Amino acid sequence: MRTAKFIGVRLAGALLVLFIVGFCTYAVFYLVPADPALASCGRPCTEQNLALARDFMGFGDPWWRQFLDFVGGIATGRTFGAGATAITCEAPCFGYSFQQNTEVLDLIGERLPVTFSLAAGAALLWLVTGVGAGVVAALRRGTPLDRIALAVSVAGVSAPVYLVGLLGILLFGFTLDVVPVGGYVDFATSPVDWAWRLALPWAVLAFAHAAVYTRLTRSQMLDTLDEDYIRTARAKGLTETKVVGKHALRNVLLPVVTVFGVDLGSLLGGAVITERVFGLPGLGGLLIDAVNQRDLPLLLGCTLFAAFLIVTANVLVDLCYGALDPRARLS
Amino acid sequence: MTRSRAALALALAGALALTACGANEPPPGASQAQATRGGTLRILLDGQTVNYDPAKSSSLAITSLGLVHRRLTAWHNKPGEPAKVVPDLADVGKTDDGGKTWTFTLQEGLKFSDGTPITAADVKWGVERSFAPAFSGGLGYHKQLIEGGADYRGPFEGAELAGIQTPDDRTIKFTLVRPYGDWPWVVSTPAFAPVPKGKGQEADYSEHPVASGPYQLVEYRKGVEARLTRNPNWSTDVDKVRAGLPDEVVFQLGQDASVISQRLVADSGDDKFAFGASFVSPAQLAQLAGNTSARQRLVTSKSGALAYLAFNTGKAPLDNPKVREAFQYAVDKTSYQIASAGNAELAGDIATTLITEGIAGREKFDLYPTQPAGDPEKAKKLLAEAGFPDGLPELDFVVSKSNNYPDKAQSVQASLARAGIRTTIRTLDSDAYTTETTGDTATFDLTLSSWQPDFPSANANIQPLFASSEIGGGGYNLSRYRNAEVDRLIGEAQATVDPVEAGRKWAELDKRILEDSPVVPLIYTRNSFLRGSKVANLFIADFPAYPNYLQVGVTP
Repeated sequence: MRTAKFIGVRLAGALLVLFIVGFCTYAVFYLVPADPALASCGRPCTEQNLALARDFMGFGDPWWRQFLDFVGGIATGRTFGAGATAITCEAPCFGYSFQQNTEVLDLIGERLPVTFSLAAGAALLWLVTGVGAGVVAALRRGTPLDRIALAVSVAGVSAPVYLVGLLGILLFGFTLDVVPVGGYVDFATSPVDWAWRLALPWAVLAFAHAAVYTRLTRSQMLDTLDEDYIRTARAKGLTETKVVGKHALRNVLLPVVTVFGVDLGSLLGGAVITERVFGLPGLGGLLIDAVNQRDLPLLLGCTLFAAFLIVTANVLVDLCYGALDPRARLS
Repeated sequence: MTRSRAALALALAGALALTACGANEPPPGASQAQATRGGTLRILLDGQTVNYDPAKSSSLAITSLGLVHRRLTAWHNKPGEPAKVVPDLADVGKTDDGGKTWTFTLQEGLKFSDGTPITAADVKWGVERSFAPAFSGGLGYHKQLIEGGADYRGPFEGAELAGIQTPDDRTIKFTLVRPYGDWPWVVSTPAFAPVPKGKGQEADYSEHPVASGPYQLVEYRKGVEARLTRNPNWSTDVDKVRAGLPDEVVFQLGQDASVISQRLVADSGDDKFAFGASFVSPAQLAQLAGNTSARQRLVTSKSGALAYLAFNTGKAPLDNPKVREAFQYAVDKTSYQIASAGNAELAGDIATTLITEGIAGREKFDLYPTQPAGDPEKAKKLLAEAGFPDGLPELDFVVSKSNNYPDKAQSVQASLARAGIRTTIRTLDSDAYTTETTGDTATFDLTLSSWQPDFPSANANIQPLFASSEIGGGGYNLSRYRNAEVDRLIGEAQATVDPVEAGRKWAELDKRILEDSPVVPLIYTRNSFLRGSKVANLFIADFPAYPNYLQVGVTP
């Protein structure tokens, strides 16, 4: 019962956050001097054409009105224009991209598998290597192994993904010619090709992210290993593997899971730079396009979706706490 | 500052190497093999979309859209020859009342990709469709000109556009609101591609258009690729401007510009049959310096868009022509060349006229002759004469963050400082920049911009930038230049049907406008493109500074 209430409160909070994000995005677009209708005005752009484009796209109303229309559209769907050329966006309508001639939700749906493939693979890779390296570094504290792990993680944290991506392509794609330089193949079409094409992007993303996990795991592990209960466990005569693997790691994972949830959530919203460098048609590319083309509906959709993922990830992390740490359980 | 200096130094070093080995280079395109029929041509784009809806397109007559759609007229596009209007679906048009009504006759035997004949009614439908608010966004030079166009909202509710008559299947007659000599050019814009009458009311027509050109769009994967295959109902017998060489053309979308460049330099696999649709950036050009193979595959235009420094002529002190004249001498155009592409060779020639190279009727002149690096002393003298012996108040210099503009602005800032003109550079995101410079109210003093005409006529060089009707409201008269005499002369030149006579009038206007110094012409910006080793016949004519996609082929 208490769990149900807890989940209910969290979900209500999540919805509120999403509402505020949507509201702010609209407000920001209203405040900056940019007219989304300009992109559909054509050249030469006349006052009359601009007004027509604005009305058709629903950008003629005051911004709060537009926002209410948007929220209403989620429940009831929307129609743009009138007559034979009217565009209907069925409920739940999260907006319509006039540049891509598609409902925003459909566009996100088309791109999601790519971003999901990229994010999930990279996350798995960085979680295993990052946490693994962190544990090793903590256990071999002060040794060359520790220093190497730290040095690599500093490099990973500091190097821009764009640069690492390009260098990766240059080295593995062109010079050594071992992986393809870009593009995406559906998992359903060919799982081998799918993984092969994603291998380099996975590695690049993992390199950038793993660093945080290495450092986090290492410092947590060092703290934990000083705790009394670890001494007790050792005194009981447990093997070192059991002490570290069962007793220590479980505590170390709590902060790691928190960071991981948010990282994965934001990555699913679009790994903008990585997708761009490797020519992957994911949500990041969609977002860039939305920004470049002043595609306000698409931008709003992508922003809301990213916020949705992060909020969801946070809720899931909260739920995971219970599983990892009995103290966090409600009943 | 340090970083941009380092970048500049790098670019310079690269540029020196480029010019050093450039002396004995064969002319661009000379090393290309003869293209043969067949094969798959790939075009690499950094944009995520390519729009094949003629109503929503602003594509030039010789690029992407031209592979799928034909228009009433086309462009003669050969290196070393000025552009001229040539027949496409129809002849180049006739007028017997001084340019107010125009009649075009379609060729016989034209067919759409679905096998149905292309008639005048289909062309009319296509034009009418471009007036529907649902399909706005393309080039709209015709919208203010065709009679009845001002209140027309498209054909889908049964209304017809009063200014277009189709007495028979092969004749289409336009009645304009005023005489317009460039009408044969206007009908080469995308909206004059035929759309089968009654079709195209769905928003995603761009993904399955009915083709009239050599290719049809068989697959459009958003953000991934657009695949064109042969249109079985097209042949070179009825089309003299498209070679239609490859069996397939594939547009790869959403590719990072640096990666495109790297792929084309590496020249392996399918990339041998590819070319990049976006310009090779100054940094990438510098990288190519040491790579002979890639150097030979670089195609650079002879000329290009006019880059210019615009003054807000509606605001003191730049409302004073004498003050503006001082800038003509103060600006160092050579340092602008270096800031934009590393050296003069790659940046483009110094500009002294508004009309760009390759446009018929263009006259070369220089109203403010000085050395390329400018004459700060003369500028100071002119400012003193204008009543500013101690220099001007600090000026607001607004530029877009995109396209290297902040670097270019710094070079202009430095050259103006030599004449005691102080400026503050204000950089804006491209959206905000467009709104600031093309909106109804403008607070800036100076800005940098460039302009490439949408069709090869001096009219398209001058009218959009200097007619008072183009001030604010999204118009491109950034200098807010308002001169009743110039407006009248523009009207007269637009009404002139004879191209030679019209050309003469535009050339006079070019001088007349520059006498008022609303802008400082800087350079005619060159564009460079990179191709794979199996891409053939990729050339850039004098105008526009883009490859002619319609002629490109591959070798086996």
